[in-house]
Amino acid sequence: MVERSIMPGFGLTMGFTVFYLSVIVLIPLSAVFIKSAGMGFEAFAEVALSKRALYAYRLSFGAAAIAATINAVFGLIVAWVLVRYEFPGKRLVNALVDLPFALPTAVAGIALTALYAPNGWIGSLLAPYGIKVAFQPLGVVVALTFIGLPFVVRTVEPVLADLGPEVEEAAASLGAGRWQTFARVIWPAILPALATGFALAFARAVGEYGSVIFIAGNMPYKSEIAPLLIVMQLEQYNVPGATAIAVTMLLASFAMLFAINLLQGWSRRRMAA
Amino acid sequence: MTVSAHNIVKHFGAFTALNDVSLEAQPGEFLALLGPSGSGKTTLLRIMAGLEFPDSGSIRFDGVDVSTRPTRERAVGFVFQHYALFRHMTVAENVGFGLTVKPRNERPTPARISARVDELLSLVQLGHLGDRYPSQLSGGQRQRVALARALAVNPNILLLDEPFGALDAKVRKDLRRWLREVHQTMKLTSVFVTHDQEEALDLADRVVVMNHGVIEQIDTPDAVYNRPASAFVCDFLGNANKLDCTIANGAVEIGGHRIENTAPPASDGLGVAFIRPHEFDVAAAGQPGVPVTLRRLTRTGPMAALDCLTETGALIEMTTIEPPTGLLPGAALTLVPRRVRAYSA
Amino acid sequence: MSRSVSTTEPRWMRWLLIGLALGFLVLNLALPLAAVFFEAFRKGWDAYVAGIVEPDAIAAMKLTLLVASIAVPLNIVFGISAAWAITKFEFRYKSLLITLIDLPFSVSPVVSGLVYVLVFGLQGWLGPWLQAHDWQIIFAVPGIVLATMFVTFPFVARELIPLMQEQGREDEEAAISLGAGGWQTFTRVTLPNIRWGLLYGVLLCNARAMGEFGAVSVVSGHIRGLTNTMPLHIEILYNEYNFVAAFAVATLLAGLALVTLAIKTLLEWRYRDQLHVSGH
Repeated sequence: MVERSIMPGFGLTMGFTVFYLSVIVLIPLSAVFIKSAGMGFEAFAEVALSKRALYAYRLSFGAAAIAATINAVFGLIVAWVLVRYEFPGKRLVNALVDLPFALPTAVAGIALTALYAPNGWIGSLLAPYGIKVAFQPLGVVVALTFIGLPFVVRTVEPVLADLGPEVEEAAASLGAGRWQTFARVIWPAILPALATGFALAFARAVGEYGSVIFIAGNMPYKSEIAPLLIVMQLEQYNVPGATAIAVTMLLASFAMLFAINLLQGWSRRRMAA
Repeated sequence: MTVSAHNIVKHFGAFTALNDVSLEAQPGEFLALLGPSGSGKTTLLRIMAGLEFPDSGSIRFDGVDVSTRPTRERAVGFVFQHYALFRHMTVAENVGFGLTVKPRNERPTPARISARVDELLSLVQLGHLGDRYPSQLSGGQRQRVALARALAVNPNILLLDEPFGALDAKVRKDLRRWLREVHQTMKLTSVFVTHDQEEALDLADRVVVMNHGVIEQIDTPDAVYNRPASAFVCDFLGNANKLDCTIANGAVEIGGHRIENTAPPASDGLGVAFIRPHEFDVAAAGQPGVPVTLRRLTRTGPMAALDCLTETGALIEMTTIEPPTGLLPGAALTLVPRRVRAYSA
Repeated sequence: MSRSVSTTEPRWMRWLLIGLALGFLVLNLALPLAAVFFEAFRKGWDAYVAGIVEPDAIAAMKLTLLVASIAVPLNIVFGISAAWAITKFEFRYKSLLITLIDLPFSVSPVVSGLVYVLVFGLQGWLGPWLQAHDWQIIFAVPGIVLATMFVTFPFVARELIPLMQEQGREDEEAAISLGAGGWQTFTRVTLPNIRWGLLYGVLLCNARAMGEFGAVSVVSGHIRGLTNTMPLHIEILYNEYNFVAAFAVATLLAGLALVTLAIKTLLEWRYRDQLHVSGH
C-alpha cells in the first residue's frame, strides 16, 4: 500500500492517525447510522418526517440559503475591497472579518439578541416600522449571516488576489470597458470560488446551533431550527428520535460536502488554466 | 572509493524509471549522468544515495553491497537540486548540521565542529558569510553552502543532482570551473546529474548517456561526442542534421546520392544519417554529394550559416567559415559531408 | 500596488464599495462585539466583577481551561502525525483520508455531541457496561472533552497538510543524508519549518475548543459548578435573565477571540511566507 521510503515513522504516524480518527470521529459517527438503521422506517418517519421536523428543516435550509446569499454578495464586496483598494484601517478590517471564526457562538448569539431585541440598538430603530427581528425567523437569518461571512471572504480573496492586473490590462487594451472587463474577465474567474464560499457558508449555517437559539425564539412550526429539535428530543430522553433527525441532517451534510468537493475541483481547474 | 550499480530496476507504478542499469565509477572519478527528463538519471542518483530503493539490483561501495544500508549509514554527500538548505539555520549551522547530529560518542566537540565549518566555508570561499541565513545569499552562494554541508561529514562519495540547474548562465559557468577545481583537490568519487550536454562534456571524466531508463553509452566526453554508440546519443549530443538514408554495401546514400569516405557502422537497409552543421563542405552544383537549393544565408561574425533544402525537401543547416561569394537564395549547390554517422532505422 | 486607470474603478465607485463593505462589517460584526462589552458594563464595574468572580463562573472557567488543555494537545499530536504521514509518504486512499479528517467540519455541533451519547450514553453501545463499572462519560467531564476533541479535530491537521505538502521532502532527505535520525530530523528540521503554521492551527483550535457550545451542550448535563463550561454557563445565566453576569463572562471569551485574532493577524503579517502555500 505504501512505497518504500527513507522517511522514518510511517507506521507510527499512520497508525496513530487512523486509530485516533477512528476512535474520535468514525466510530462515533457510524453509531448514528447503525442506530437509525435498526429502528425501522415507521419509527424513523414518526420523528424525522413529522410536520414539526419538516418545518424545522425548511427554516434551517431556507434561512441558511438566504444568509449564504447575503454573505455571497457582501463577502464578494468585502473581498474585493480588501484586495483592490487601500483605505485607513484596512488591516483592522481584515482581522475583523475572521471574528465569527474566533468568537464563541453562544457569545455571538446573546450579543445579536441584545442588538435586535425590541429595546436593543438596532431593534429599537426597526420597531417603529413594525419590523421585528429577534424571536422571529428573521432573527435566524441574522445569526446565520453573522457566522457565514468569513467563509465567502476567505475563499474569494486569494483567487481575486491571484488574478493579476495583466488580464485586466489585456481586456482594457482590447477595448473592453470597466464593466465589460468585470463581467467577462473577472466574474468568470472568481465564480467557482464564490460558489464554493457560498456552499461552505450554507453548510455551516444549516448545522449552526449556538448563535441561533438565543435570537430565534424557538417557536414550533415557526422559528425552531433542526439542530434544536435534536436537543429537545434528547431532553425528553427520546434518543432514537434525536438519532432520526441527526441522520437526516448528516445525509444532507454529506451531500453538501460532496457538492463542495465538486465545486472546489471546478475552482482548481479554473485556476490552473 | 569505487561506486557501482548492478542491474538496477525501478518502477513507479506502471512507469519504468530504470531498466537493468549497471555502471561503475572509479576512485576519484567525476562521472556525469546525462539524459533528457524522464530518462531515469535522477532516480539512479537517488538510489545510489539510498534516498530511493531499487525494485531489484544492488549498489556496491568498494565491492561491498550497501543496498540495505540506510542513507545515514552510507556516508554519501548529496547536493540537492534546490539545495534544501535549512532556512532557520545560519550558513555555519547548516554546514555543521551533519556533525551535530552524530551520536554523542562520535560527535566532535563544539570547538572542533566550529573549526571544521570554518575550514569548509573557506574552501567554498564563503568564510565571511557564516552568520548569514540562506535567504540572504545569492543562488551561487547557496549552491556552495550546500556543497560545503555535504562535504562536512567526510563522505565516501559526492552525489550532485542538477547542481547548476537553478542558476543563470554566467554563474553556472563560473561555478562549473570552480567545482572542477574543488573535485581535483578533494579526489572524491563524484557523480552528478545533468540534462545539459555542455555541462557534462565540460566537467566529467566520463559521461553516462541515459534514455528511457537504460544506459545508451558510457564513455569519455570525446568519445560520446565523436563516436556516439547509438542514434539517440548522436541526436542528443550537439545538434546534428538528421537525414533519412539507405545503407548499401557499407556505404551511405542520401536521396540516392552516394556519400564517399564514410564507414557506417550499421548494416544494410534503411537508416538515419547524422551530420553536424560544421561537417560539410560547399561545392558547386553537379559535384558528387548532396544536391541542395540555398534558402537563406546569414552571417554571424566570421561564420556563415546556410539553410538548404534537399531534392526531397529536407532541411539541412550547415555552417562554414568561407562561403562561396555571391550566393543568393535559390542558388543550386552541392553539400559534401566530411563525416556521416549512420544508424539503421 | 497602485493600479493604472484602465484597471480600476472610478473614485465614486471605489468609495461606494468601501462604504458598503465597511457598513456591512460594522453592522454584522463590530456592533455585536461592542454589544457584548456594553451589556456587560451596563450596571457598572462592580456588577461586572461580581458576575465573573462568582464561584460557578470560576468553576466554569476552570473546566473550560481543563477541557482545552486536554483536547488541544491531543489534537496537536494528531495533527502533526496525520500531516507527517500524509505529506511525507505516498499511499493509496490518501485523498479519502484527508476528506475523513475534514469530516467534523461538516457535521452540526449538536450531532457531534449526539454521536457520543449514542456510544457512551445509557441507551448507547457502551452505556450498560460503563454503568456496571460506575463510570460516567456522558453528562460528565470526559464527554465534554470528547465532544470538544471532535469539533476541533481537523484544525491543526488542515493547517499543516498544505504547508508541509508545499515544503516537500527535500529538507528531511538532506538531514537524513547528513546522518540525522528520525527524531532529530523531525525536531531540528521539520518542526522549525512548520512552527508558525502550527501555532496558527493551535490558535484556531484553542479558540474553538474554549468556545464550543452546541456539541458540549448535548453531552454536558448542565450541572452548575461541575459540568458547565463557560459558554454553557453564559447560556444558563442568560436564561435566568441575569444578563449582566452572562455578558460579563462573555467578555472573557470575546477577549480570548480578540487576542486570537490579534496573534493571528500578527502571524499573517510577519510570517506570511511560512504560513500559506504559494499559488493554488
